[in-house]
Amino acid sequence: MSEVRCLNCLKRFPVLPKAETAICPKCKTKYRISWPTPNQAKVRGLA
Amino acid sequence: MQKMLAIDPEKCTGCRLCEITCSIHNEKTCTPERSRIRVTKWENEGIYIPMVCQQCDVPICETVCPMHAVKRDTETQALVIDNELCVGCRLCVQFCPFGSIGVDDRTKKVIKCNLCNGEPVCVKFCEPAALQYVDANTLNTRKRRAAAEKFSDILKKTLARF
Amino acid sequence: MVLKGKVAYINLSTRKLSQEFVPARMRTLYLGGRGIDMYMLYNHLKPEIDPLSPENVLLVGAGLLGGIPCLGSGRCDIAAKSPLTGAIGDSNLGGFFAPELRFTGFDHLVITGKAEKPVYLLVKNDEIEIREASHLWGKDTFETQTIIRKDQDDENVKSLVIGVAGENLVRFANILTGMKNSAGRTGMGCVMGSKNLKAIAARGTTPLEFAHPDELLEYCRQMNDMITSTRWSKAQSRWGTMIIYSNTNTTGLIRTRNFQLNRLEEGQDLEPENIDRYSIGTSGCYGCAVHCRHRYILREGPHAPLYGEGPEYTSLGAFGTMVDCKRMETILVANHLVNKYGLDTLETGGLIAWAMELYEKGILNDKITNGLKLEWGNEEALYELISNIAHREGFGNTLADGFRKAIPKIGNGSEYYAIQVKGMSNLHSDERPTPSFALGIATSTRGADHLRSRPAIDMYGLPEDVLEELYGGPVAPDYNSYDGKPRMVWWQERLYAVTDSIGLCKFQTVFCSVHAPKWKEFSKLIQLATGMEISEAQLMEIGERIYTIERLFNLREGFSRKDDNLPERYFKEPTQIGLPVARNKKIDRERFSKMLDEYYELHGWDNNGIPRTDTLKKLSLHKEPSNLM
Repeated sequence: MSEVRCLNCLKRFPVLPKAETAICPKCKTKYRISWPTPNQAKVRGLA
Repeated sequence: MQKMLAIDPEKCTGCRLCEITCSIHNEKTCTPERSRIRVTKWENEGIYIPMVCQQCDVPICETVCPMHAVKRDTETQALVIDNELCVGCRLCVQFCPFGSIGVDDRTKKVIKCNLCNGEPVCVKFCEPAALQYVDANTLNTRKRRAAAEKFSDILKKTLARF
Repeated sequence: MVLKGKVAYINLSTRKLSQEFVPARMRTLYLGGRGIDMYMLYNHLKPEIDPLSPENVLLVGAGLLGGIPCLGSGRCDIAAKSPLTGAIGDSNLGGFFAPELRFTGFDHLVITGKAEKPVYLLVKNDEIEIREASHLWGKDTFETQTIIRKDQDDENVKSLVIGVAGENLVRFANILTGMKNSAGRTGMGCVMGSKNLKAIAARGTTPLEFAHPDELLEYCRQMNDMITSTRWSKAQSRWGTMIIYSNTNTTGLIRTRNFQLNRLEEGQDLEPENIDRYSIGTSGCYGCAVHCRHRYILREGPHAPLYGEGPEYTSLGAFGTMVDCKRMETILVANHLVNKYGLDTLETGGLIAWAMELYEKGILNDKITNGLKLEWGNEEALYELISNIAHREGFGNTLADGFRKAIPKIGNGSEYYAIQVKGMSNLHSDERPTPSFALGIATSTRGADHLRSRPAIDMYGLPEDVLEELYGGPVAPDYNSYDGKPRMVWWQERLYAVTDSIGLCKFQTVFCSVHAPKWKEFSKLIQLATGMEISEAQLMEIGERIYTIERLFNLREGFSRKDDNLPERYFKEPTQIGLPVARNKKIDRERFSKMLDEYYELHGWDNNGIPRTDTLKKLSLHKEPSNLM
């Protein structure tokens, strides 16, 4: 499963395939997600 | 089925790694001028098209060669130049419809793609996969599928209405 | 023979040309590209000359590894004394020019004097010709290249050109090749313009020889695999450097409305994904497997149809966040305009953002701006001012001279709002939450600039031991911290000095990824390509030598510790918004000063930033100028 890094607390956490949003389990920041490749998630902005 | 060097210009990024690596592999120097593959560019419009020998089934180069120096490699089916026979008359250069035969400015003999004996170096370096060495049938199937997808989208939409 | 690159000396006043091989000793001391350019800048220039006088020297240098099939080996280094800052002028561009120059047999061009009338240089296999260029004068950067290709009836001619901005001596005019590759920073296009030199065209068919061609080919393949497997390159291949915007704007590390805010709220249209609406695919420089820029077409609107390449992350700031324009289309149009006129995107945006803040504050008014309403987000005013700067018309004429000259001219406290160091505008990044970046832009030898060091590796939550191993000493993993950051800056400065000298792309070394090729891989590439055995430690020393000779140049021009500073606002105004990690942050003056002490110490410079005698001896710099070439 692809991971992203929280931009606030820098923790890496997994993102479900094709997910459009994700919440950092540590600091609870909610992000919008995009996919440069089908297997790589990337933070796009704040949700 | 026979493999072929397939080109997808839509994927080409114009980086010329194919030219550079072709010349280093075949000439041991970096000389795009002596590369067997060349990227033709329309720089102000952002269009890049790699051009290379198509290893034609009915090869004009072979037909016009007065010395019978153009031969087909039995394993790769590539058309190769027999340098012992080539007299450098350049008829093949003139007649090739793809401009894919060049002249080596030092030896004055002609040079062309020989598919690197079945392992084309340019393909290994082409990151966006604009160049692929694939089974001719596979290519055909892929293209068919890509074209069919457009129809299938329309069909799906039409069916969804009922 | 491997390494038979030559240097050409060209005097445009006397039309005298001469050439010689680059001395082997220069290779071991400075490699090529930026290294050799910096050596020559220090050696050829008399102190305190006017950068726009015929005495200034324009240096064009291909890298030592220019032309190899990996890691973006098409980089070209351009140097001169900067007409913008008076310090080191140095700018690096990609595209296809540098390899083409190497195919002519030349690695370096040294251009002095001033032509009587507009000319261009044609470098063709060992021969250099000074040609008449009156038919090119007044043409934009794209037309100029097209005409040269037609004149030569050869589509493979590659040219470095200036646009109208360079002709009009705009002090931050760029030099461009292709549709977007620019030596943008420090006004190298202005120096070209001052020499009446419109273009430098190259076309060569000379083979580039390597010590171990087969092994080199295989190792280059491994290098391309190494870089394209990093997360950073995967994202960059897809959306270019714009991908950085997702992180920085979300976090609050992007200066907005000049320096008032640190995030563009409602900046969603500038997210890199939106380039897909205009993109027809990506494009790569010579020998690059990453292909980080887009080929875009604007099909609708008043500026259509338009084809352009990019935009880079810098343009998202220059014509987006800093001037509070929130539309991708504005970026694409403005990016096209600066490339066409031949202006540095970053300096142009930085100056316009500054002017907009001055307009808001009432320091500028309609009378001074000739009726231009420099309001935040006014894109029509933005386009008009870009054109005015390039043509030196109206208020654009004031900005065309850069911060150094515009500040005293405008006066009235305008200096406080100028986000610049040593007279050069900063990128649109906001370094208040990141002391490492802040130190980097303050100490950069060419003025506020992220590409001299860009110490970003502490932003990825890497463990302390990974950072320690990379940087060879302790570095705090927290990017808000001041601890160990001078070490990061020092390490990156040396790495980039070497990267620019071997002519590879900075994006393909430790830029955003710790797993990218660096010293060890560079050493191996040099060995396979040239046969030279240069260890990792020796490469680090070469980096130090290059950075120190740049320092010597600036010291000779009167720069000192006082110039390694930040704009006052960094110390006074805390950041307002953003994620907690970036909010309510400013630079602590005392701790900044302490970082500077540590940074000088690491370089072997004294407390005033002057290299110590033992440092100079160790680096074989104690007898400069040595006039080796």
